[in-house]
Amino acid sequence: MDRRTFLKTTAGAGAFAVSGGLATPAISQGAAAKTLRFVPQSNLSNFDPIWTTAYVVRNAAAMVWDTLYGVDDTLTPKRQMVEGEETSSDGLTWTFKLRSGLKFHDGSPVLGKDVVESLTRWMARDSMGLMIKDIQQELTATDDKTIKWVLKKPYPKLLFALGKNNTPMAFIMPERIAKTDPFKQIDEYIGSGPMKFAKGEWVPGAKAVFEKFADYVPRNEKASWLAGGKNMLVNRIEWVIMPDAATAAAALQNSEVDWWENPVIDLVPLLRKNSNIMVDIADPLGNIGTFRMNHLFPPFNDLKVRKAVMMALDQEEYMRALVGDDDKLWKPLPGYFTPGTALYTEEGGDILKGKRDLAAAKKLLAESSYKGEPVICVVAQDQSITKGQGDVTAELLKRLGMNVDFVATDWGTVLQRRASKSPPGQGGWNMFHSWHAGADCVNPAGYVALRGNGDKAWFGWPNIPDLEKEIDNWFDAPNLEAEKKIIGKVNKIAIDNVVYAPTGFFQGYQAWRKNLSGVVKGPIPFSWDVTKTA
Amino acid sequence: MFAYLVRRILSTIPVMGMVALFVFSLLYIAPGDPAAIIAGEQATPEQIDRIRQSLGLDQPFLIRFGEWLWQIVHGDLGTSIFTGLPVARMIGQRVEPTLSLMVLTLILAVVVAVPIGVLAAWKVGTWVDRAVMAFAVFGFSVPVFVVGYLLAYVFALELGWFPVQGYTPIARGIGPWLENLVLPAIALGCVYIALIARITRATMLDVLQQDYVRTAKAKGLGQSSILFVHALKNASVPIITVIGIGIALLIGGAVVTESVFAIPGLGRLTLDAILRRDYPVIQGVVLMFSFVYVLVNLAVDLVYTLVDPRIRY
Repeated sequence: MDRRTFLKTTAGAGAFAVSGGLATPAISQGAAAKTLRFVPQSNLSNFDPIWTTAYVVRNAAAMVWDTLYGVDDTLTPKRQMVEGEETSSDGLTWTFKLRSGLKFHDGSPVLGKDVVESLTRWMARDSMGLMIKDIQQELTATDDKTIKWVLKKPYPKLLFALGKNNTPMAFIMPERIAKTDPFKQIDEYIGSGPMKFAKGEWVPGAKAVFEKFADYVPRNEKASWLAGGKNMLVNRIEWVIMPDAATAAAALQNSEVDWWENPVIDLVPLLRKNSNIMVDIADPLGNIGTFRMNHLFPPFNDLKVRKAVMMALDQEEYMRALVGDDDKLWKPLPGYFTPGTALYTEEGGDILKGKRDLAAAKKLLAESSYKGEPVICVVAQDQSITKGQGDVTAELLKRLGMNVDFVATDWGTVLQRRASKSPPGQGGWNMFHSWHAGADCVNPAGYVALRGNGDKAWFGWPNIPDLEKEIDNWFDAPNLEAEKKIIGKVNKIAIDNVVYAPTGFFQGYQAWRKNLSGVVKGPIPFSWDVTKTA
Repeated sequence: MFAYLVRRILSTIPVMGMVALFVFSLLYIAPGDPAAIIAGEQATPEQIDRIRQSLGLDQPFLIRFGEWLWQIVHGDLGTSIFTGLPVARMIGQRVEPTLSLMVLTLILAVVVAVPIGVLAAWKVGTWVDRAVMAFAVFGFSVPVFVVGYLLAYVFALELGWFPVQGYTPIARGIGPWLENLVLPAIALGCVYIALIARITRATMLDVLQQDYVRTAKAKGLGQSSILFVHALKNASVPIITVIGIGIALLIGGAVVTESVFAIPGLGRLTLDAILRRDYPVIQGVVLMFSFVYVLVNLAVDLVYTLVDPRIRY
């Protein structure tokens, strides 16, 4: 019996025992009704949402810091901290008015100067922010409540940039904190969001605690993702870090925790057997699986080789490796954008559709410059998503007749090695596997993996000027119709040039005890409007 | 004796220095980039480079080691790359759970292992002996996490006697403290009990064949007096040695046990730090464990003099 099977067996037995009404746990339930115990996707090891783009930090930060705008479940930016905005007729001057009653957790009011410094720090780290910074003429607080932003050219996506959920989000911090170098970590965690961070109770790697901010004034609208009224219905949220999936499953069954952000797929059927536990899709925007090929060196500097691989890959094989037999959790993805969102397109995606043609792929490979040199495939074994995909790719390349040098390592090493631009035989690489949150792939705004700007592009460094031109056009597009037209072209160019190989769209589950209500599906585990009964 | 004590404690300094250099060198040559982990999946290479520079990770080996050594000399273990918190504070937060787990495991192991080891030696060749040896083989063979999951399933999930995970500080009462620690201590203790029981049995077998034991039997002394007063005392030096050596086992085992039972101890801190390449934390924890290990060895040497008057320093 291997470790994974053992976990499933014991957790399964536990689920049976608990659902069968055996003895209840010893843990105290007193005063617990107003405390929400949450198992996050990973450890909150630091807490500066600008310094790092880690999703777990963004998720915690969304409780503590507020944003000027916030996207709703249609990804439309809605007012959050602002009362209103005005745009000049030429689209160059934006004026924002803060709403009344905004306070930071230290009791000080939120002022225009706080917004100016916060946006300045954010702009230095965010891809959309950097674009805005390039065309910025002036960003000032004209009074305590008013911010004026003057641009050199119109930027129609400004409100989306301020309200997006891609990391780093444009969180508003007190001026003195926001003045911290964007590449250095802040050490004060004062926001104006609905929850305060209890720094004194923070044990990185074990526990993070958030307490309700009594002075928070939610908007009157109904909450929808990052938009609307963020009404906190619990007094305290405790993040309990659990590195072991079987332990988290047992703790959820035993009522020691209330909500588990990302239960492993293997344990989901067992959690479902427990009548006190609800399991549902966590994020409708899901994830996009990927392997990236290094465009700088042979063999993948040859488009024919990249195309041969794309032609041969079977997304179903990849998705089965990730989600098993659960067909609800995956979809084929003949493109690069998140299914179910406004800009989703399959234009140019025929190469990824239909029955796979290995013979044609081999023929294309034979016509290419590939001469049997080793393909260094770096695979992190400590991440189930990368390991599963890596195994499938290794087999795929062998079937194609390529010489695979499979480098099994850990995620920390992959992160370092993929940044190397050295030749593959000298510490570099030919391919690695990863995945992108679907929320980042709804449009080109925060989609760094799609860029084709050569040296400045994401790892693999594709250099595709036509792609960049269309992405620039998208940023200037005046309306959705124009955006859709451009995104069709973006998708086709990206596929034609194999920016990277999409291995499919997949989702994950979240699980919570049924005495919780108000849990929504979203890219962030939104804690507002969640109630807990004893 | 005092001079010996001072000499031994002072001798830990070069030992720890060597350990520190070794660990620092290993980390330096090991692949993995904390800046890339910090920056997150969406970061660009340029952003990662900036973070690396701001953390001083682009500096050469000697400069980084020198700076770290300078901090240590000034009583500062440095600052975690990830949390920005002082390493000493992070270690301080985690000491109590690990220490509690280790002490409880140690007590449990000695209380269980020594008597059953003695019993097995006294009843050598019988079913009692075979049962003890079978348990010892089981204890050595079954991984800590398997025992941990089994215990959690039976005693936490099925019977509801204990929580599955977590830790309650001793300041909140012995009862809640024990409630969280009993299962992890048993899980971690199995290997340790097996080790001590086997050594106790082997040593006792040797001692029980000595002339003075035969004489004691001939004089008509009671079994318990022969076993626990005469024989065990003379067998205790190897047993104490293995208890001391076993501390290292406990430190290693604590990493797994703390993960399985979600105990916020030093084991988990070490594992997290290694996976993230949080160099200052790894170095701080290794230094601390080295110091503890040296002190345990010193304590073991001192205990020898108590149980065996022939040993003098």
